[in-house]
Amino acid sequence: MLTWPVVIALAVGVYAQRAAGALFVTTDRLSPTARRVLNALPLAIIAGVVALTTLTNEGQFSLDARGAGVAAAALCAWRNLPMFVTVIAAATVTACVRALA
Amino acid sequence: MKSLGRSADSMREMVFPTGTRFSRAEALTIGFAYFTVGFTVAVLHVTEGTSPIVMLAAVFLVNSVTPTLAFAAVTAAGGSTIAGVLSGWLVSTRFGLFAAAIAPRLWPSKLRRAASAHVSFDPNIALAMREPDDHDARRVFIAASFWLCVPWWFAGSIGAVIGASVGDPAQLGLDAVFPAVLLAIIFPQLRERSGLTMAVVAAVAALALVEVTPGGVPVLAAGAASLMAYWWADPEPETAPETEPAPC
Repeated sequence: MLTWPVVIALAVGVYAQRAAGALFVTTDRLSPTARRVLNALPLAIIAGVVALTTLTNEGQFSLDARGAGVAAAALCAWRNLPMFVTVIAAATVTACVRALA
Repeated sequence: MKSLGRSADSMREMVFPTGTRFSRAEALTIGFAYFTVGFTVAVLHVTEGTSPIVMLAAVFLVNSVTPTLAFAAVTAAGGSTIAGVLSGWLVSTRFGLFAAAIAPRLWPSKLRRAASAHVSFDPNIALAMREPDDHDARRVFIAASFWLCVPWWFAGSIGAVIGASVGDPAQLGLDAVFPAVLLAIIFPQLRERSGLTMAVVAAVAALALVEVTPGGVPVLAAGAASLMAYWWADPEPETAPETEPAPC
């Protein structure tokens, strides 16, 4: 759940990174290592977040309807379908599996 | 009437810049994608308990979906608020790099750059960078930012306001939409071997740690493990890889 302090902290942190890039950093002055880390970090974090939100529940491993929904989403993304199709497929499959179970 | 016609023309010129590589099809695709993502994500946060006014603030002030999604996912998995905020910051490092990549081609004025920084996203910068001429790069940056931000702000606001009336999110399968949107965002990178290796390592590490470490640790530790796997798989690239913007 988002709250005011969280939104403000996220807004400041995200804008600070954008402004730092736009105003102070020139990419050729960054070391290749720093550049690689900054470039790879989002994928590293997002992949972990996807795994946790799909396969855990309250800190415990849990294979349930969400797994089927996200698998459907992966199939859609793999077939290059638009994001709204991917999203609808994930929700529909999850809701159906949950209703059947 | 004449001036009205002229301002309509200049408006059209702003959103569909002639003589650039930015096509109408691309403009509409971006607009549609950000509309659906904005609406979905706002509804998702509101059904999860976020108040509509806080969600509106998040749409305009954070101005990106990945940080709020990452925060919500980490805290819903039992992570602390601090771990959630940290994850939110770490998923937006890419914006700083993109902003730095395009900055020299935009305006010299610091004020204009500071304003344009707030709308640094992946696709608008990628499309602007594609223009060989700096003047065209600026025009495409403005047009693509328009096609991205206006639908996203509009749909995000609608989602924030009506989200509460959507009903039980679990019954509608909306809890699977969090990971589905994030997966769609990273999917282009999973088609490359190094990206796939990183993602698999992060996922396995996060799941291995989730039952034995406090909430918030798994995702950060998984991120670190994933970076190490990236180095191990590709220790010394000949040249630093270009920042390749992913869609959304």
